[in-house]
Amino acid sequence: MTMATSLPGRRDEAWRYSDLKALERAHALPANDAIAEAVTLADGETRRLGLAPDDSQRATLTLEVPAGVSATLVESLGGGGWLDRAVTVRLGAGARLTHVILQTAGAEAVVTAAYTAALAADARYQVHLGNVGGALGRVAMDVTLATGADFTLGGVLLGNAGQTVELVSRVVHAEPGATSQQTVRSVLAGKATANYLGKILVAPGAQKTDAAQSSKALLLARTASANTKPELEIHADDVKCAHGATVGELDAQALFYMATRGIDPAEARALLTQAFLGDVLDAIADEALREEVSALAIGRLRVLVGGA
Amino acid sequence: MMLKIDNLHVAVDGKEILKGLTLALAPGTVHAIMGPNGAGKSTLGYTLAGRDGYDVTAGTATLGGQDLLALAPHERAAAGLFLGLQYPVEIPGVSNLAFLRTALNAQRKLRGEAEVSAGDFLKLVRAKAKELGLDPEMLKRPVNVGFSGGEKKRNEMVQMAVLDPKMMVLDETDSGLDIDALRVVSQGINAMRAPDKTILLITHYQRLLDYVEPDFIHVMVDGRIVKTGDKSLALELEREGYGAIAA
Amino acid sequence: MAQDTLATVEDVTGTYKWGFSSDVESEFAPKGLNEDIVRFISAKKGEPAWLLEWRLKAYRLWLGMKEPDWAMVRYPPIDYQDAYYYAAPKTAPTLKSLDELDPEIRRTYEKLGIPIEEQKVLAGVEGARKVAVDAVFDSVSVATTFREELAKAGVIFLSISEAVKQYPELVRQYLGTVVPIHDNYFATLNSAVFSDGTFVYVPKGVRCPMELSTYFRINAEKTGQFERTLIVVDEGGYVSYLEGCTAPMRDENQLHAAVVELVALGDAEIKYSTVQNWYPGDKDGKGGIYNFVTKRGLCKGTRSKISWTQVETGSAVTWKYPSCVLAGEDTVGEFYSVAVVNNRQQADTGTKMIHIGKNSRSTIISKGVSVGHGQNTYRGLVKVLPSAEGARNFTQCDSLLLSSTSGAHTVPYIEVKNPSAQIEHEATTSKISDDQLFYAMSRGLSAEEAVAMIVNGFCREVLQQLPMEFAVEAQKLLGISLEGSVG
Repeated sequence: MTMATSLPGRRDEAWRYSDLKALERAHALPANDAIAEAVTLADGETRRLGLAPDDSQRATLTLEVPAGVSATLVESLGGGGWLDRAVTVRLGAGARLTHVILQTAGAEAVVTAAYTAALAADARYQVHLGNVGGALGRVAMDVTLATGADFTLGGVLLGNAGQTVELVSRVVHAEPGATSQQTVRSVLAGKATANYLGKILVAPGAQKTDAAQSSKALLLARTASANTKPELEIHADDVKCAHGATVGELDAQALFYMATRGIDPAEARALLTQAFLGDVLDAIADEALREEVSALAIGRLRVLVGGA
Repeated sequence: MMLKIDNLHVAVDGKEILKGLTLALAPGTVHAIMGPNGAGKSTLGYTLAGRDGYDVTAGTATLGGQDLLALAPHERAAAGLFLGLQYPVEIPGVSNLAFLRTALNAQRKLRGEAEVSAGDFLKLVRAKAKELGLDPEMLKRPVNVGFSGGEKKRNEMVQMAVLDPKMMVLDETDSGLDIDALRVVSQGINAMRAPDKTILLITHYQRLLDYVEPDFIHVMVDGRIVKTGDKSLALELEREGYGAIAA
Repeated sequence: MAQDTLATVEDVTGTYKWGFSSDVESEFAPKGLNEDIVRFISAKKGEPAWLLEWRLKAYRLWLGMKEPDWAMVRYPPIDYQDAYYYAAPKTAPTLKSLDELDPEIRRTYEKLGIPIEEQKVLAGVEGARKVAVDAVFDSVSVATTFREELAKAGVIFLSISEAVKQYPELVRQYLGTVVPIHDNYFATLNSAVFSDGTFVYVPKGVRCPMELSTYFRINAEKTGQFERTLIVVDEGGYVSYLEGCTAPMRDENQLHAAVVELVALGDAEIKYSTVQNWYPGDKDGKGGIYNFVTKRGLCKGTRSKISWTQVETGSAVTWKYPSCVLAGEDTVGEFYSVAVVNNRQQADTGTKMIHIGKNSRSTIISKGVSVGHGQNTYRGLVKVLPSAEGARNFTQCDSLLLSSTSGAHTVPYIEVKNPSAQIEHEATTSKISDDQLFYAMSRGLSAEEAVAMIVNGFCREVLQQLPMEFAVEAQKLLGISLEGSVG
């Protein structure tokens, strides 16, 4: 089912905080023919893909990372229309994929990107997400882990003006011994809203699961809001599952301390908000990729801090 | 005068804490303000540095003739004021080096001076850290995060040395220090003594004054300076308590 | 403490201790639900016209509503026409004194260990606190103790049917103001057919001189229980209210859909404690109470405080979210919960903290223990509205899994629309480690003792919120609920 045929409603749990009006507007745009791609990555390969439609564009991708292969995919999602992205990722046994997703669509645009990933035994999937564009920028990840597989998601959600940026994740620990860590940092200015709906599901028998979620949101303006739903559904007893979530504003004491050392308020806010994203950005192992994602995030952050 | 405070009244949450405080500090002098708990000593430090919530209801404070109260906190720092905090704040995710370099260059920029290069800055910080016995590795760590009480105070002294202010207000810098740390911190303060600089120590105890000899001691009770004298006043206070002096 | 718990476990040897039924002659309304039944209930209680109209309005609303399906509980469709909505013991409805109470009912409460005779309480151990009790047997309140002493303090403690007669204005002023008539499917049903319950009013500046308590007992077969509790504490007043529930063992599922409304005016404090021990059904999930309860408190006045503490060990299905609407400035809401599910029990419980007033603060501590095939869900909402400058919430949700076939689920919603709010949520899941068990056993505890001790420790933060009498009872109950947890 594609979204072009039936739009979700407020009663759909995964869309409860979404900007359905922006979605309706996008729905009225003239639609291009759907694009369908299939890509198999080779060992050591770094592939870059970019999409930036100004109309309504459905674009699907089937991505294969064969057993034992280690590869990188950098995806840039943008444009000024509606990009409806659907990606199916298959990781073979022991495969490794580093996946950078940079969503930087225009202020009026809508991006709805849905990723469905299946990890075979001992596969490792690392996602570094910068979700900062669009009137509605939405990324959904549905990841299923086999024995010993590992999934890491680091997400930065930045919103300004009337933006809604959201991340909806569902991580299924289908078999024993898999691990997952999700770290999400949101910074909101203007009238922006960030939503993080993250679910960890531990199937019966998936013993020795180790799953963690950490979600923190920073509100820079009185009119910004953050919604968080870190959810656990656990059907096995020998597991380690934890989540933590906080929402708040910049630490007034830290701001004052910085001012007494001569740092002006805008600079102090910028430093503190950058530090706030550190948990996500510093975790990107590849230096070039870390620079790329950081540059995007920090550049956008400057706009938010200035505008707050 | 370096710092001139005249008839300063300050309220916090609507409650008056400083009730007409007057004080004039000349360049090249070291002063200590002593007083019992609740006298308003820390309030004075926060007010001079411009913390939110410390409302000046009357009076003036000037630094080198410039109206201090009209400036934003970071502008006061650039004008040469340094407040050493009793409880230095932890800032996760921001390294000491980045913090201090940003601060130094922000001050210099505001004063119309050129930025310090990364190399010169590193050399300067390392030298100061070494003098003050702070492990250089700690400079890479987030500001004050996971530092012991003594390390935090040493870190304050490193910041002070690097930023090179002309008016230093040090709020209970001696609290929570063991004797070795106290010696190092005192060295740090003494190293800043200069004909064009003024130091104001806010302290509860005589202990620090054994290491940093003040030229003047001011006794503060209930939001006012009630007595000023030389360093022998500290011993008198130690002997007779604040009650007798205030009476 | 573990020794006590174990002794009790051995005592009851795997059966529901409160599962007896009493042979009390009862009067029933005809089976099923329609407007005539609503009228019948209202007439039986001699209610004023406004209340009948209120009930009928609720009934008509209910007809157009859908049973909620979002909770993580599964049960076969409920046939609302296959139940009695009114059952009352056939004795005189209003007792002049406790002596008139049906001896069989009296024996029931004795067996339950509930003091409905004042003398007995008065003759009790020196230093023991007095607890005033309202005993609700099926659909009606059968005894309320210590009324006179409470009246001296100005505290009204009555069955809600009597309160409607004696204090109609007061009841009318507050009924349905915290849980509106259309609030949700079960609350609306309750509004139409509520049978009895408790009314408490604490006047300005009065600290209620004793704990108030209601014991609910479902006895009759095929009977739903729909009690309604309304507690209003005026400015500067304080009350601690305890609620306990039991039911006989029956093969069929019985419906319990209660509504509790709390109103705290300026500087008032309400402490509401529940030990819920309805019949949970047998090992295979046959029988047991369906417990669909709406509880909500309104911190209306400045600096008012409402604290919910619950120990949920019973019922086949629990659907319950005691909540606080923090409307006033500097108000405080608290929710402390222990939920234990064993065998085929399912619990979906939690709270809602709605921050409206400036500097409103809330604390949520939830401890879920899952045994056997039990399914335990914490579901909560922390909502900070733009007006709630300086709001604070701290939430801690911990799950303990004692079997690989049980489930522990956490569904917290956090919605923040004020940047000055500070919201912290933490959740953990754990099991009893082999190391812990071994350590405890190496010091001489049996496996069951060790488990009971560890579970009690896990629940400590919540249990210590309970008034003393209840804490002891709750601890025993926990032990019993863990029955069969050690393989």
